[in-house]
Amino acid sequence: MTLLDDDVQADLAPAEPQAPDERLDPRVELLWQVNAALGWIVWISLAAVALFVFDRSPAWASLMAPVAATYVMQVPTRRYRHFVFRVGPADVRVAHGWLWRTESVVLHSRIQHVDTRQGPVERMMGLATVVIFTAGSVGAMVAIPGLATARAEALRDELVRLSGTDDAV
Amino acid sequence: MPSEAAVALDEGGRRLHPLTLGFSAITIARQMVWPALVGGFGLGDGQIARMLPIFAAALAVPALIGATLTYTLYRWRLTGDELLLRSGVLSRRNRVIPLARVQNVEVRQNVLHRVLGVAELRVETAGAGTEAEAVLSVLGLAEAQAARVRLLAHRRASAPAAVDGEAADTVERPAAPPLARLSTGDVLRAGATANEAGVIAAALAGLLQFADDLPLPFFEQVGDAVMGRAAESWLAFGIGLVILFLVLGWLISIAGAVVRYHGFTLAVEGGEMRKRYGLLTVHEASVPLERVQAIRVEESLPRRLLGLASLSIETAGGTPGQRGGAEAFVPIARRAEVGRLVRGIFGDADADTPLQPVHPAARRRLAFGYLVRLLIVWAPFWVARWLDVQPAGMLAPWMALLLPLPWLAAGWAYRARGWALPPGYVMARSGVLTRVTWIVPDRKLQTLHLRATPFQRRRGLATVVVDTAAGGRQAAIIDLGEPTARRLLHELTARIRAATQLRAAERIAREAEEAVARADAEQAVPMDAVSAAEGDAEPALASGSSSSVEVDVEAAVAMDPPSPVDVDLPAVAVDASSPVQAEGAQAGSAAGSVTAGPASTG
Repeated sequence: MTLLDDDVQADLAPAEPQAPDERLDPRVELLWQVNAALGWIVWISLAAVALFVFDRSPAWASLMAPVAATYVMQVPTRRYRHFVFRVGPADVRVAHGWLWRTESVVLHSRIQHVDTRQGPVERMMGLATVVIFTAGSVGAMVAIPGLATARAEALRDELVRLSGTDDAV
Repeated sequence: MPSEAAVALDEGGRRLHPLTLGFSAITIARQMVWPALVGGFGLGDGQIARMLPIFAAALAVPALIGATLTYTLYRWRLTGDELLLRSGVLSRRNRVIPLARVQNVEVRQNVLHRVLGVAELRVETAGAGTEAEAVLSVLGLAEAQAARVRLLAHRRASAPAAVDGEAADTVERPAAPPLARLSTGDVLRAGATANEAGVIAAALAGLLQFADDLPLPFFEQVGDAVMGRAAESWLAFGIGLVILFLVLGWLISIAGAVVRYHGFTLAVEGGEMRKRYGLLTVHEASVPLERVQAIRVEESLPRRLLGLASLSIETAGGTPGQRGGAEAFVPIARRAEVGRLVRGIFGDADADTPLQPVHPAARRRLAFGYLVRLLIVWAPFWVARWLDVQPAGMLAPWMALLLPLPWLAAGWAYRARGWALPPGYVMARSGVLTRVTWIVPDRKLQTLHLRATPFQRRRGLATVVVDTAAGGRQAAIIDLGEPTARRLLHELTARIRAATQLRAAERIAREAEEAVARADAEQAVPMDAVSAAEGDAEPALASGSSSSVEVDVEAAVAMDPPSPVDVDLPAVAVDASSPVQAEGAQAGSAAGSVTAGPASTG
């Protein structure tokens, strides 16, 4: 996939076995769609209230609906397609973003602790988010959302096991 | 299939002390006191005030239910080598903290805690953020203390001295010549070239608005003098005022620098930086070199023209609640001296390494960005012209003269950008007016990011961000060609691994040496064990199998003292045949927990 296609890596470290790229649970698309839809409903309602307060017809707010619909249909799908991660022998790589792309590399030796988190909707769907913490400043948290609960827990345990004991700071 | 951690929590997870509920109730009650008082005693008027206690009660009930659920669902457990936490009612959070990562454990008691025999247990790792990674509030006092002992027993004997404050015990040595010392001339130069001069001038100009109200004879006299002579020409008056304020701001800035930086010295000795400066308030502090994360060399425009620079030495917060950031600095230095200063802190860094330019496409991207910004500023002037608002409307066509500016600025910005990978370090430079050069040691890199905005991707560019534990600011190399960025990311990843392995090997060698030395004190042991340890540590590094090295050390050091002695610490690095070393490692672990104890009570 996109950013993780690391031909350089293959050049420089041919001896290292490449771990397979892993995708999120496909249900995360639905989760993100639900979240996005809820968000848009809030914004459209606020716009309607504002229009009402300023003596305009709240119906104008419905103009936002096509934008919202396009967003809900398109963005979560694309975000899902561009989200890949890989637990390699020495590091975790996470690549995500459709327009604004980010690839993060966290060496196992730098992991401080690991969380799994579940919001209410995530829990209903049996999904969870893994959050990796390092001692860094701004980019110290790397999150992998939308994993099946069992996979999230297994990943967390794996990362904790792999986390080194270097002094780190 | 549930994970090990989940099972561990389900089976052996413990709750907090039942009094936790009482403390939650107190917190909730405290929030409700004011509305209740205001309403209950009729301090406020009317219906609403009388309704307040009812509102408060209506809010308190769900809050109490929430607190009860939180308490009921909360679980924690200390397993052999992890601290497990589960919290949350609607949003659940499971946290796993490897005990080897624990930096600080505090048992905190306020007055009420003491009366009730409970305590708050706070566990910190080196992780980001100011809040402790685990706050167990509240536990029974005995339980909290037992947990602290267990948590600290796992902390490595060689934990950073910065956390223990052990560095303070090192023997005072005769003072070496300081790394940097500022003469009065230097301090004056620092003030004269400080960016604050402009800011102070602007502030003074702002103050002028109230000049009539200010009982400052000085202002009145200046005002009269200027008005008297130049009142006929408003333009001359305005220009005169601007110059006056710039000069005043400049003088104040110089005076401020003298007060702040008088007698500045920065010395490096015994693994610490010591800074001392100030005319009225004398600041004196020392920072362990181990906590230095990066050095920023800053050259503002006036300083660059004069061949001057300043250094800001970024550190990681050491003690709990301490944020880190620029804890040490050199307010002014000659550009030619920067290399020497950097070497004084990072012994092996070559800060004078020539930098490589970023991708040439960056120049077009920058120019386009600046052009868009110019157009955004320009547009209102055309609107003003259209609405016939003067003098803004008059200026609109003339602003076309600014059109070359984006290209010029893009050229400056492009030339400012550069990067280099001298051995052991990453350098990144950027900034149009104030040029900032980061020097970051490989061993301090935490996470690496490769980022690309849609505008960058259009031109095949990407940004590499290198994150350290320095509070708040990140070094970044912006607009590399994507293949170069990728190669850089790979190179840095490899370098962090090498640095980690080197440290692991060094630690093993050190621990083995200490163990042998300790055993030596008891009985005469041939010293060749030490050399064997050192000799074998090197191949372990070269072979690149650091994970096994680390695991073995961890197993040995983290072991509880009473457990049987089949430690396999030396398996990789040191020959395990001698039981003396295993014994020594144990002694080290015990000593670690003893010295760590008092440090965390404060």
